[in-house]
Amino acid sequence: MTTANTLSLWDMTRGQQCLVSGFRDSLDERYILRLMEIGFHPGEKVTCLNTLAFGAPKVYQISNSVFSLDDTVASHIDAVPAPESNSDS
Amino acid sequence: MSKAILIGSPNSGKSLLFNRLTGLHQKVANFPGITVEVSSGKMVNLPEVVLVDYPGSYSLHAISGEENIAVENFEQALVDPELAVVLCLIDATRIEKGLYFATQVVRACQQHNKHVILLASMMDVLRNHNISLDIASIASELNTPVIGISGKSGEGLDALVEKVANIAATYQEEASFPAKSLAKHDDAGLREISHRIAKEFGPKGDILVKSQARLDSFFLHTWFGGAAFFLIMYLLFQSIFTWAAPAMDLVESIIGNLADIVIPIVPTQTLQDFVSDALFGGIGAFLVFVPQIFVLTVVVGILEDSGYMARAAVICHKPLRFFGLTGKSFIPMLSGVACAIPAIYAARSVDSPRARFLTYMAIPLMPCSARLPVYTLLIAAFIPANFALGGLLGLQGLAMFGIYLFGMLTGLLVTAFVSRVSSDTQDELPFVLEMPPYRLPSWQPLLRNAWNRSKHFITKAGAIIFTVTVVIWFLGYFPNFGEDLGASYLGSIGKVIEPVFSPIGLDWRYGVAILSSFLAREVFVGTLGAMFGIEGAADNFVPLAERIQDTGLSLGSGFALLVFFAIALQCVSTLAILSKESGSIKLPVQLFTAYSILAYLLSLLTYHLVEFLV
Repeated sequence: MTTANTLSLWDMTRGQQCLVSGFRDSLDERYILRLMEIGFHPGEKVTCLNTLAFGAPKVYQISNSVFSLDDTVASHIDAVPAPESNSDS
Repeated sequence: MSKAILIGSPNSGKSLLFNRLTGLHQKVANFPGITVEVSSGKMVNLPEVVLVDYPGSYSLHAISGEENIAVENFEQALVDPELAVVLCLIDATRIEKGLYFATQVVRACQQHNKHVILLASMMDVLRNHNISLDIASIASELNTPVIGISGKSGEGLDALVEKVANIAATYQEEASFPAKSLAKHDDAGLREISHRIAKEFGPKGDILVKSQARLDSFFLHTWFGGAAFFLIMYLLFQSIFTWAAPAMDLVESIIGNLADIVIPIVPTQTLQDFVSDALFGGIGAFLVFVPQIFVLTVVVGILEDSGYMARAAVICHKPLRFFGLTGKSFIPMLSGVACAIPAIYAARSVDSPRARFLTYMAIPLMPCSARLPVYTLLIAAFIPANFALGGLLGLQGLAMFGIYLFGMLTGLLVTAFVSRVSSDTQDELPFVLEMPPYRLPSWQPLLRNAWNRSKHFITKAGAIIFTVTVVIWFLGYFPNFGEDLGASYLGSIGKVIEPVFSPIGLDWRYGVAILSSFLAREVFVGTLGAMFGIEGAADNFVPLAERIQDTGLSLGSGFALLVFFAIALQCVSTLAILSKESGSIKLPVQLFTAYSILAYLLSLLTYHLVEFLV
């Protein structure tokens, strides 16, 4: 469910920690399944490890794995700031 | 003969384990999607068991071609009475990533009464960081045997072989099947179970991710990362051109010396000409690329094994996406600047079938080294060796840079065009790339892989190249036994097709040289030298360039030839490898036809444009 403080993974800044809150309907069902299969479950903590300039894919830590997602995927994943969220940018 | 199959998520160490257990030499690398086909071999310590290695998959619901191969083969194997056991690998350092897939595999095995063993790989890495994994609890939760192993150190492999041997001896006995603990769960249930198990019993702490993140903060830094990227790519480029050069010279000299020994002992003149021109000339011209393929494979292997390849893909992804490509297309395209053949092999790492298809389209337009002699000759013939800006800017160098840039841009524009007009988006995958941890490369597998790749090039492309070489030689040699190329069948064909080339100001001799260059581009120089009666033109361009100037060939025709060679797909080896890698003759035939037409039309346009302006 989208709330006032919901943001997409693509909106996250370097070092920011969020909890995955869901997926937008605009993302193909099979990709939603795949993202959940590799660890992007609703409620899971995700950390944005790296953001490059010029719209390059961002790098996220989910559990003990690290994945790079581009905007076509990350902008369709909703997240809310984690309770202990911090950002260095 | 019983079977064991090896399955697991990408980059979980399957190929390394497969090599350990079978003594074979599958390519291994620290980059997802390296295994793209099914391989099999007898287990060294259990020769009665055949081990089959599948490409990696994150799920039994496949979304890519490689995953389809794994899933379809796995489903077929489940109903194979010879299947004794399924070995499912999970990367112990990132257990969450592979555990859901593992539970899917366990459930499928339980539903089909097949034995399964979970293998927690990379235990040596955990141990080195004093991190533990609760294997006993995971085994108990899943009611499935779990063995901690390391494909690198060999840890746990004796226990694995013993377990497989026991199962292989009894697998057909119904009573030996484990309880069906997961069989009743749906996918959502499995996700919950795997998530809970990973949280409760997986490695605690993220020390491995933190050490990876420290290096990423440099290699993925906007400025430092960009600078490192260009430096690494420069070194890659140097390796292709400079480091491979001595070995290429050596191969050339060995072939030359061998020819000097063999040719005099061949009985008749015709046979001597055949051995000299078709065998040593034709086959030798392709063997000379083997060192380049070897060096490039080693360097690309280092990038893959170290974990850098995934970072390079991230850096390049955005600009390449504009042209319908993906970040993973960059290394194959860069390799294509040296030679299209290793570049086509390197395109295996592009997991999206659509992006891989577009990468295949772009590679032949990258300015490969075989174009260099042609460009050098034509630029020497048409561009004055003048300097501008106080000697800083040479016109010939500028022309060379321009034609290289033209080829690259054409490649990108072609993929941009095709990606926009083609409505087929079914097999386009989103960019979700696992970032592997940084590791020191292992030299032995790297060198072995480079050797295997070189051998593959020689054996697979060699047969096709040999056939075409013989045909071209036959057409150029008969009916007048090599006396006059102009009077040969090839010469006759050249005169027949002269009307095709005359609109761009080229006579039949250039037509013949272009025809012969469809074998390999660099043949153009030698053939033109033979047509103008200049010996050794391939080694010394100057007399031939002067002769071309003397014939009064126009500047427009010179530029048109440059454009033609920048686009036309004149390389039998490339077509042969393209056919092998794409799994069909259709793609090389389509590309050959399309690029020939495009090359002709653009050279015609160039000719008229230059003639109009000058």
